[in-house]
Amino acid sequence: MNRFVKLVNFELSRFMKIYLVLVAMTVVVQVTGVIVKANKYMSKANTAIYEEMLSRTEFIERYGQMGFMDVTRSLWFMGPIAICTAALIFYVFMIWYRDWFGKNTFIYRLLMLPTARLNVYLSKLLSIFLMVLGLVSVQLIILPLENSVLKWLVPTDFRSDMTVSQIINGNPLSMLVPQTFTEFVLYYGAGFMALTIVFTAILFERSFKWKGIIAGIGYVAISVVIFILPVLSMFIVGRAYLYPLEILGLETAMGIIVTVMSIWVGNYLLNKKITV
Amino acid sequence: MIEVKDVKKKFGRKHVLKGVSFTANKGEITCVIGINGVGKTTILNTIMNLTPLNSGQILIDGEKINKHSYEKITFIPDAITMLPSMTIREAMQFMDDFYDSWNQERATELLGFFKLKETEKINNLSKGNRAKINLLLGLALDVDYLLMDEPFSGIDMFSREQIADVFTSHLVEDRGVIITTHEISDIEHLIDKSVLLDNGVVLKEFNTEDMRETEGKSIVDVMREVYQQ
Repeated sequence: MNRFVKLVNFELSRFMKIYLVLVAMTVVVQVTGVIVKANKYMSKANTAIYEEMLSRTEFIERYGQMGFMDVTRSLWFMGPIAICTAALIFYVFMIWYRDWFGKNTFIYRLLMLPTARLNVYLSKLLSIFLMVLGLVSVQLIILPLENSVLKWLVPTDFRSDMTVSQIINGNPLSMLVPQTFTEFVLYYGAGFMALTIVFTAILFERSFKWKGIIAGIGYVAISVVIFILPVLSMFIVGRAYLYPLEILGLETAMGIIVTVMSIWVGNYLLNKKITV
Repeated sequence: MIEVKDVKKKFGRKHVLKGVSFTANKGEITCVIGINGVGKTTILNTIMNLTPLNSGQILIDGEKINKHSYEKITFIPDAITMLPSMTIREAMQFMDDFYDSWNQERATELLGFFKLKETEKINNLSKGNRAKINLLLGLALDVDYLLMDEPFSGIDMFSREQIADVFTSHLVEDRGVIITTHEISDIEHLIDKSVLLDNGVVLKEFNTEDMRETEGKSIVDVMREVYQQ
């Protein structure tokens, strides 16, 4: 196994415990949410039908059927996603800073490995990216399961069934799980680019301390400006002289330029400017 | 040979190294001596490219440091550079995974010498034992050069003796060692070459044996002369 793969494996295993807790929390809270929501609806139905003497049809007319949307719009469903997102965003910073801080300064070891320092950068980058994909996959795997739980708890008459793809399309999940491959490449490519920008900004701070914070913020600003240049230029000129597809092409090109630039600058800082 | 040539380094406005030059040969123990804060650690960091130079040059066997150099030279900082959550075995596995020069036989030998168990967690080790493992992780690499930063500071007497014993053993023989210290009493008899540092400059560089023979002075004598004039 080459050292890059070993490094990725190492970085993943360092976060694995917390990562598994996040996965478990997501599954438990979301499934609990389905059960709670379904039970609430059914008890409302029971009260209406047996105490207020409504017929089934009357109840459904008044309150509507229960669908999976009632679950996905709730905190039970979105809460774990938000927590996982926050945890991973936090870890984007921690994956670097944990090597400098704490009792044992592991960055000494990482920088003294007999491998290109770029591998340290890329292994951290790939680890975060794989973790994101992993969490999205978990969500995709448990959706049909949660859908079945709902069907199992709520009788057919009371519910409007949805397929998994309808569920994904109808809420913020559609960002996480794009419908087409092009969208996938665009969304996740943009995410990847953002990661490289933040990583390089962190390395500016690690290399130049206080001045590095300013340099890092400046770097983020420059990167964003370069990236949105095609769109920005239209606003400056005041008219749309490009077709949407041309803008898309330009944006993709800019995204690739910014990503390559970030990795290149990050590599330069790691080799020439970093201080333990 | 490690050649440090006119190395300058500043942190902010503070000039830590103001043109430091010296050499360290293979097969010799070179000791960089100076009080706290004169830039001893910074010198080792710059040799390992762990902090950038402002000017000057450092060569290891005639070439600048690169990724392959880390199979040839290693640095043992004053604190252990492994994850605290690892056991000794995991730490050794990590080294084995990443270094071709890792010598497990020697690591096992050292572990026995220090009377430590590989199932112990680094986090749970005493300060002295942690220092020993730190030393082990460096010494078990088949490298030509070893840099050690204050290997004796804050360690109990018996651990100090054990570590000093390592220097006279085959584990260090034939290698080039650069060691920094502000307290030379434990290792004075081991040192081949001394580099006296103060205020970011080398005040004196001398071969201890020659000094003893020609001028009849010990390292401490020379230190008195140099620092107290």
